[in-house]
Amino acid sequence: MSDAIQVRVAAIRTVAPQIREFTLAPVTGELYTFSPGSHVVVTMKGTDAAGKAKVWKNAYSLVSDGFDASRYVISVRLQDNSRGGSVFMHTQVSEGDILEITPPSNLFAPIWSAKKHVLIAGGVGITPFMSYLPEMTRRGAAMEMHYSFRSQQTGAYREALTSNDAVSVSCYDGDAGERVDLNAVLGSQPLGTHFYVCGPESLIEGVQDTAATLGLPATHIHFEAFAAPQPGQPFDVQIADSDLQIHVSEDESLLEALERSGVEVPNLCRGGVCGQCRTTVVEGEPEHRDTFLSDTEKSDNDCLMPCVSRAQSSRLTLSI
Amino acid sequence: MNASTEIVLDPAVKSRPDYPPVAIDTRASHQVFIAEDHEQTSLTALSEQCQVGESLNIVADAASLPESLTELPLSTALYVSGSEAYLWDVHNRLTDMGFGTDKIHLLAPASAARRLFCTHCYTTMEGVSHTPYTCTGCGRPLLVRDHFSRLMGAYVGVQINAEDPADLPDIEETC
Repeated sequence: MSDAIQVRVAAIRTVAPQIREFTLAPVTGELYTFSPGSHVVVTMKGTDAAGKAKVWKNAYSLVSDGFDASRYVISVRLQDNSRGGSVFMHTQVSEGDILEITPPSNLFAPIWSAKKHVLIAGGVGITPFMSYLPEMTRRGAAMEMHYSFRSQQTGAYREALTSNDAVSVSCYDGDAGERVDLNAVLGSQPLGTHFYVCGPESLIEGVQDTAATLGLPATHIHFEAFAAPQPGQPFDVQIADSDLQIHVSEDESLLEALERSGVEVPNLCRGGVCGQCRTTVVEGEPEHRDTFLSDTEKSDNDCLMPCVSRAQSSRLTLSI
Repeated sequence: MNASTEIVLDPAVKSRPDYPPVAIDTRASHQVFIAEDHEQTSLTALSEQCQVGESLNIVADAASLPESLTELPLSTALYVSGSEAYLWDVHNRLTDMGFGTDKIHLLAPASAARRLFCTHCYTTMEGVSHTPYTCTGCGRPLLVRDHFSRLMGAYVGVQINAEDPADLPDIEETC
């Protein structure tokens, strides 16, 4: 992409047993300032297990202050069931390396008209909220944070958060048997409160179910499920009205396979939430893994989000 | 107006919001019924489905809703009935207070009359039911467009004969 930004890895540090933090500095000039909740997509050019060249593109939330144009900071959790992107970041990136990123985009901005913000984070889901805090502090916004993690794996930034007097942070260490009481957190908030959730699917569903049971407005529950694409069965893709046939291997996403073959598909989140990469399915049965399409749209099987979704059938024909 | 009078809202007016049938939100902790006047029979019928003491009934101008509403919890459901302009004035007041839009249930407007907003002098006029309509602010003959603004609770009016002031089309009823 022509608007890609070259950045130099200025520093790497471990912020939790399975989370590494990367400070990225511009190769030339300054970076863009960004709004709280923004992310960038990092292009990783490495090799797969068989030694073949491979390109990964993963979205990572910016954890630095959006007003700081001198650097971006991202935090990457090593995923056990990874297709390789987080392994690449953890094992093949060194200080001084050059990486390519997209300009920031934001699919998880705070609702500034809220009278109070309640931030609910799980594990590496703390990352988008790290850029919320400085701006909310500047604005004097009423807020509180509830942060669940397992200290043997995650829990990044918790010392900095709990020692910050400007923020009310409650921590729950799953490895110490602590759990957030969602009923108490959601049930006790004043009129005008908005809730933001980032973390594993189970946390997001827990908040949504609790909110529904308590009768809270669904329009006040905001979430970001940045599930990176998961591996799956390999399958073949035919591009309609062309001779192009593409094989999607088990550890690459359909979107990555299309890009590898020179097929450009507009995309933004690469995590099945934003809807940018919606693609028409002419033939074959998709395996929907996104959180963008409605249940009805999914059962129609006439489109899919190639950033995360795959095929139930051994073949898919796409119209692009 | 009595309950048997059926108001026909023309579905061809694309920009008019949908007003689907409203049922009691059984998950809400509090039920609040807000009416423009005492003639809102559909709202009365709805509130009568609640147990005595379970609901709060308010008849008030949009501008004079009780401030005490802000002490209600987020899990409150609100039901609003009146003219279309009133519905959106109340809706906007309630969202300012911090209620969620999905907890504010607007009953179908009690009449098809429109609030009209003049895009030339910014005057708003109530109860408009024909087009062109002479602006009470600037005197221009306004085409009453089907473009509805939820923020203003109004339809947009633009001068109908800006090209040729001598051309004054016949008056038609709006729907």
